[in-house]
Amino acid sequence: MLKEPEYLTKINAEIMEMQEIVESIGEQVQDALKNRSSGLKPVATELCREAQIREELIVEMCVGSLIRHQPFASDLRALTVAMKVSYDLSRVCRYLRNITEVLEEVNVKNCEVKEVCELLKNAREMVRQSLKAYFEKDQKAATNLIKSDESIDEGYRMILRKYAVQKASGNCILFNGITARIVERMADHACYISQETIYLVTGRRTDYR
Amino acid sequence: MTLSNSTKLDIQNLNAWFCEKHALKNVNVKIPDKEVVAVIGPSGCGKSTFVRCINRMHELIPGAKASGKALLDGVDVYGGMDVMDVRRKIGMVFQKPNPFPNMSVADNVVAGLKLVGTHSKKELAEIAEERLKSVGLWEEIKDELKKSGASLSGGQQQRLCIARALAMNPEVILMDEPTSALDPASTAKLEELVKKLKNEISVVIITHNVSQAARISDMTAFFYLGELVEFDETRNIFEHPKNPLTERYITGRFG
Repeated sequence: MLKEPEYLTKINAEIMEMQEIVESIGEQVQDALKNRSSGLKPVATELCREAQIREELIVEMCVGSLIRHQPFASDLRALTVAMKVSYDLSRVCRYLRNITEVLEEVNVKNCEVKEVCELLKNAREMVRQSLKAYFEKDQKAATNLIKSDESIDEGYRMILRKYAVQKASGNCILFNGITARIVERMADHACYISQETIYLVTGRRTDYR
Repeated sequence: MTLSNSTKLDIQNLNAWFCEKHALKNVNVKIPDKEVVAVIGPSGCGKSTFVRCINRMHELIPGAKASGKALLDGVDVYGGMDVMDVRRKIGMVFQKPNPFPNMSVADNVVAGLKLVGTHSKKELAEIAEERLKSVGLWEEIKDELKKSGASLSGGQQQRLCIARALAMNPEVILMDEPTSALDPASTAKLEELVKKLKNEISVVIITHNVSQAARISDMTAFFYLGELVEFDETRNIFEHPKNPLTERYITGRFG
């Protein structure tokens, strides 16, 4: 494998910083969800803003590198992929913040949240694994991750089916439906990161859908 | 793999030597009609030898020889064609602009025609104007046609040389690093000209500037140690080359 140019190492270091922000906000949202507690929105908003600033910085670094180094082949792919991965992470952040918004707006004190908690845990693991595959340029792991998206989709459908037939209060149906949908979209972004990883390694675009 | 269906030049099993040195090794490539083909590779890889074999300039060097076929519209330039006819149909532009210093700008353009044709003065003047217009020089120098070609700027001289090659109505133009001695503005004009030329003829351009190859060519050939390593659509070569050697070269990790 070719040695990575310094500018790509710096850009990936910024992506790692973004990942830490996503991990931090993800952990806090997971706890808030488990405890059905509100009040996390301001913190989540602040962390999201930080992630967005990093995304903008990464795009700036990528554009600067395109101008300065005029990269080709794997280096060119690495830059375009880095921009997309930073965007995906920024989106994941915003989805996590959306969950805090729902927790803020809907009274969930008496709702069952076990399934949606599990779904979030799995989606966060997908984001983590997609980034691992990206940093390690692991095409096989990226391909496997895309395949595992089906379990998230099934979990989402299962929650919808459950709340469609079960007797539950309106706010619990609303909360679980919306949150499961948000989590399902989060997992989609993990798949996008994996899709980009495959392109980074092979140079070929695949549509996982 | 080619973008267009028709092949202008079909190079088959081309080998070239400088005395004992095997400079070009069994090259097979199809140059498409009316497209720009960039030839890239490290110094000494055989790029210049390759293009000089196409219009039989290689054999002018003492001790140099070539074998194989170079079919121009199906006719072998090494078999069924007169060498002067080959060089008329396959024009060449060199790294350093080489206008004839003792000739005026206008005479430079039609110098080749004067040697081979029986054009009247009026016809020659019309051809000179037409060709200077086609290389974008006319407006810049229409009042200086009687000045020496050597009095023009480097970029203008290079376009003058292209006008001179075009005056012969070539079917292919070979360019050996035509912008390496030019400033960015002149380079940009020449690149625009190359893109325009492909509406009429095929262009084969050697360049050390991989960004330039990416900008102006439809197809790219990568040479290394006398061998054609990879030939593909430019987009493929610069986005995901198949050969690790190509990857190393275009990402600047060679040597």
